[in-house]
Amino acid sequence: MRVAMLGWEFPPFVSGGLGVHCFELTRQLCEKGVQVDFFMPVSGKTVVSPHPNLRIIEVAKTELRPYLFFSKKGQAAYGENLINAVNEYWAKCIERVIAASSEKGKYDLVHTHDWLTSKAGSALRNKLSIPLVQTFHSTEFDRTSWPWEYILDIERSAASNADLIIAVSKRTRAQVMRLGAEEKKIRVVYNGVDSERFGAVKIDAKISALLKKDKKIVLFLGRLTEQKGPVQFLHAAKKVLSKNPNVLFLVAGKGELLPMLINISLELGISDSVKFLGYVPEEEQQKLYKIADVYIMPSTSEPFGITALEAMSSGVPVIISKTSGVAEIVRSAIRVDFWDINAMAEKILAVLKYPQLTSTMSRLSVTEAAIYSWEKTADETIKIYEEAMRRG
Amino acid sequence: MDVCIYFQVHQPLRLSSYSLFTEHTTDGASYFDDTLNSQIMHKIAEKCYFPTNALMLDLLEKHPEFRISYSLTGVFLEQCKRYMPEVLDSFAALAKTGRVEFLSETYYHSLSYLFTEKDEFIEQIKLHSNEISKFAVPSRVFRNTEAMFSNDIAYLVERLGYTGILAEGLEHILGWRSPNYLYGVKGTEKIKALLRHYKLSDDIGYRFSAKWWSEYPLTADKYARWLAALQGDCVNIFMDYETFGEHQWADTGIFEFLKSFPGETEKHKHLRFATPSQLVERIPAKDDIDAPQVTSWADMERDTSAWLGNEMLRNAFARIESMGPAVPEKKDEDMLRTWRMLQNSDHFYYMCTKSLSDQDVHNYFSPYDSPFDAYINYMNILQDFKAKVEKE
Repeated sequence: MRVAMLGWEFPPFVSGGLGVHCFELTRQLCEKGVQVDFFMPVSGKTVVSPHPNLRIIEVAKTELRPYLFFSKKGQAAYGENLINAVNEYWAKCIERVIAASSEKGKYDLVHTHDWLTSKAGSALRNKLSIPLVQTFHSTEFDRTSWPWEYILDIERSAASNADLIIAVSKRTRAQVMRLGAEEKKIRVVYNGVDSERFGAVKIDAKISALLKKDKKIVLFLGRLTEQKGPVQFLHAAKKVLSKNPNVLFLVAGKGELLPMLINISLELGISDSVKFLGYVPEEEQQKLYKIADVYIMPSTSEPFGITALEAMSSGVPVIISKTSGVAEIVRSAIRVDFWDINAMAEKILAVLKYPQLTSTMSRLSVTEAAIYSWEKTADETIKIYEEAMRRG
Repeated sequence: MDVCIYFQVHQPLRLSSYSLFTEHTTDGASYFDDTLNSQIMHKIAEKCYFPTNALMLDLLEKHPEFRISYSLTGVFLEQCKRYMPEVLDSFAALAKTGRVEFLSETYYHSLSYLFTEKDEFIEQIKLHSNEISKFAVPSRVFRNTEAMFSNDIAYLVERLGYTGILAEGLEHILGWRSPNYLYGVKGTEKIKALLRHYKLSDDIGYRFSAKWWSEYPLTADKYARWLAALQGDCVNIFMDYETFGEHQWADTGIFEFLKSFPGETEKHKHLRFATPSQLVERIPAKDDIDAPQVTSWADMERDTSAWLGNEMLRNAFARIESMGPAVPEKKDEDMLRTWRMLQNSDHFYYMCTKSLSDQDVHNYFSPYDSPFDAYINYMNILQDFKAKVEKE
């Protein structure tokens, strides 16, 4: 089976779940004998194929990171650049895929990810007469409180043009249906986690103690946008500190809300107990999970939430918002409503206070995370490829 | 052959959602969720207790040889009195027929037998007997919480004057022997064990509406034919009373089944209905069984793991037990009642973490989102309660 996959990012060029997904999915697909040509923008960094069945083809230069532009301010300041870059990418992508198709033989299907690549996919579906599979990792509704009509339109046509749609959760399926897609062509395939990688990370106990200075650590890791819930995180921190001052709150990630979050932590009088770490590269993220006593993902709208599975693999107790895709599957995490600051604080306090709760959650989390492998994601994806080809 | 039908009737007193961030009253009343408990009692009374009791009364009138038995927990009786005295009246009406036996158990449906000191267990059995004697003749047959049974339990209750005890008919106690006889218990003098025929009991309790089941749909005449084909002195059909109308909804046909059951059974002349006490009087023990470890009717394991099977459970249990001498010594009735209500096995059942199929059963009954939430709430309440006990 030969697949032309149109992506936007690939490690080391990653700003969200999409990049992680493409890396892990293509690796597993190739393991299972699928030939994948992965088309992506020129990243300016060295992108290496992890598998002989995978060719990485960089087609147009862009240094724009779309996930950093999903704000009203971002739209005004950078919107046009982003759209230009996306348009340029589409045009070049179409050219390169058609060229590759005539050089190396016809593709069996084209697989696109999110709106960033969907238009090129629709064009290729028509030009090459091959089926189109479109994955939605998120929709415009999830990324911003002010959905951009321009992007919604692209997503609507992506939802209508694809032969089959993969949604990363049931809640994403519902969002895709809001875009007009028929339910019968949407398949839910959950993301996975490389649990061995996260489980294998070791942190020297002495170094960990030195870093923590006898404090318990509560970790937030994600883009600093409204949808990830960093504001709720700070308000919960304030509540926690009122009962247990011996806690340090780490905020890992960057984004448009950073200045505001710093202000909020000052206003709440908790700035000594909150550390903003900025962007943390993946290897360091793994260590953060290891030194954290609780990982919290308070997202207001989270299509999936891979970090929750990563944290579980690392054995850290996890608290997630009910409005996340990952909350549909995991049983070893505590689930809260993103707006319920008291509940969030109470659960954090309890995990820090009751060692038997921590040990039970940790043990069960590691076991459970191992079930959600990328191999399983790839198996389900291949089934969808086969279905799309039968239909085509 | 004697057909012995027994129903467990119980509703836990569910805990309030305890918040660390609100002021609490000084008495223990706020630990229990009056609104939720009242709602559930009303709901289950409408679905199960009223229609089933009415049907039982009718069947007892129409079939003079029909016999049934119950055990009603003290926790259930208290809630009847508080929320729905009519439910209690309908059980009293059944008692008046003289053909319904009310078995003995711990008032608080508690794990008190598992405490190292047995005085609390014995005290709760006496409390229960007193309560039952207000509307029925207390039985000399005992059933422990969730059918917990062992040589030692049989020995203890024999010394309290009991002549029979209910137990799960497990292969590892019975070996090659059949559950359809009465047995003596190793280390006791003459108390007889009545062993549940779990397959035939679960055919009604669990499988009645299971469409995957090869015997679906189950009819009363088919079931009576199964009973008639058995070898032995007796068959013990034990189940939750809430099977009727609650676990198996009315639209499954469970009431029609029950309605035809006595008539269909009586068609087989060698079958006759009997209460547990009648079995103990009529049937000699066939042999001695040996149960050094505690067995029960809970989960696949049929042991105490539903209440003690993880670190959280063992810690919560140790904490409630450790308040043992202090609380009764206070001679404070409210405090004593609170402590005993917190021993109810259901609070522990909600904290259990098990393999998926058993966990689904735990979740079905649980008012919590997860076992972790159950543990947190229980521990926060216990801690508050302990502080009050130590203060006064």
